Amino acid sequence: MLCENCKERPATVVFKQETMNGATERHLCDKCAFYSQTFSFSPDQEPLSIQQFLAHWLGGTELLSGQKPNEVVAGPECPNCSLTFHRFLDVGKFGCATCYDTFREQLPRVFAKLHNGNTSHSGKIPVSLNERFALKKKLDDIRVKMREAVDNERFEEAAVLRDEANQVKQQLADGGDD
Amino acid sequence: MSFEKFIKRELTGWMVAEGEHSDIVLSTRIRLARNLQDRLFPICSSKEEAQRVKEAVDQAVTTVEEHQFAGISMADLSSLERQILVEKHLVSPQLIEPDRYGSVLLSEDETISIMVNEEDHIRIQCIYPGFQIDTAYEQADQVDSELERNLEYAFDEAFGYLTSCPSNTGTGMRASVMMHLPALTITKQIERIIPAISRLGMVVRGSYGEGSEALGNIYQISNQITLGKSESEILKDLESITKRLIAHEKKSRELLLAKSEVHLENRLFRSLGTITHARILPSAEAARCLSDVRLGIDLGIIQNIEMTILNELMIFMQPGFLQHFKGTELTSEQRDVLRAQLFRDRLLMARSTVEGNEPEES
Repeated sequence: MLCENCKERPATVVFKQETMNGATERHLCDKCAFYSQTFSFSPDQEPLSIQQFLAHWLGGTELLSGQKPNEVVAGPECPNCSLTFHRFLDVGKFGCATCYDTFREQLPRVFAKLHNGNTSHSGKIPVSLNERFALKKKLDDIRVKMREAVDNERFEEAAVLRDEANQVKQQLADGGDD
Repeated sequence: MSFEKFIKRELTGWMVAEGEHSDIVLSTRIRLARNLQDRLFPICSSKEEAQRVKEAVDQAVTTVEEHQFAGISMADLSSLERQILVEKHLVSPQLIEPDRYGSVLLSEDETISIMVNEEDHIRIQCIYPGFQIDTAYEQADQVDSELERNLEYAFDEAFGYLTSCPSNTGTGMRASVMMHLPALTITKQIERIIPAISRLGMVVRGSYGEGSEALGNIYQISNQITLGKSESEILKDLESITKRLIAHEKKSRELLLAKSEVHLENRLFRSLGTITHARILPSAEAARCLSDVRLGIDLGIIQNIEMTILNELMIFMQPGFLQHFKGTELTSEQRDVLRAQLFRDRLLMARSTVEGNEPEES
């Protein structure tokens, strides 16, 4: 058997990789195995071939159910980078952050497969996002109080609250910075 | 330019045989993937778009406290220089792909590497010698938090950090340890262990030579899942698996010693003979012998050789370094001869300092 990479020398090394979804094997010669592997592990190598993995769903149209099998189904298209869901399954990569919004309904099934059934984040949250979140909450609180004040005809208090709300709105517009 | 030292220096931070369990764990690496909210991801960005991302990150990096960074575009390096950065694990092979507009920012001590316009806009990588998973994460986390003050990250409340590849979505974190597991490999136990680890949401990589021996007996264990688990949960899982592997490996080493000490000694000393005397040293053989000698040192069978030298040789034996050392391109046969020569020189030099009078305290 010849090396799968150079197709010149005989394959003497089996490069195995184990993933949750099973093992993969590549038959390589000493040289190619060495240059492609040894100490140059990259943590960024895909843990499994996403393309292959996603592509086989296309046949079954599992994610685009309700469509006729022979119809060319593109699925939703990202308005920002014009990636279609069909194309996403093909290349296995998103083109921009907006893709996540565009494919929001389909994604939980993709993630469940890739992340052991998990579909939502439970780790670090950017600090700035926390600040924005806090500001939004503050704004909501002020608005509730303002409505109460208006309902109870405490107009002076409502005016003060309105000014406060505008201030917070301005902060949000400035990107959350003070 | 000041970047040159990163190419010239063959020893980088993670190679000094330090850190917890450094006899078995060679290095610990954390990588965080981040993207900017309003820019197309690198796989579909134009040169101008990539340039804007680079400028934004370069600017943000200047505000990071405690660390100074030196940056360079991959396009400004020769292909050999790029290869060396890969061989030192300072950049990923993907960053140097010619159709991308990659650049890197390195901290002075080379432990922090910020890759720009790789698969994602930003990849923060921290690499430490031995088993230092918490230190590595704290460092990466700190750089990430500081960058974020000046950059608007693509983040979604449901999906977390948005990355180009769905396998990184969520924490965007890949934590990995590089382990030397010769006894588990020789006793073939590794074949049973790897599938078991895989079922726990971790990935094990190794390349297998004759029979089942991995080249250099070096394996990389990393997390596969980035969504649904917090950073600390992922790190804890990886830590417990690493510790179990260390315990297994140690037990197998004792067993090997008890069962067939003379056979083991024979093998390890033969390998030492090969790397100190060979005239032609192909890379696969070099990797196997280095693994044996490393095991010999760990077991106290081989003395008078410092582990740091072995780590250095591991990097130095790679094609990019050999060619850079020689200052010219080499065929693979020429490399095998040069590799043999360098190994002899380096090991002889080390011996003479050890056997001579007390080496200078450094």
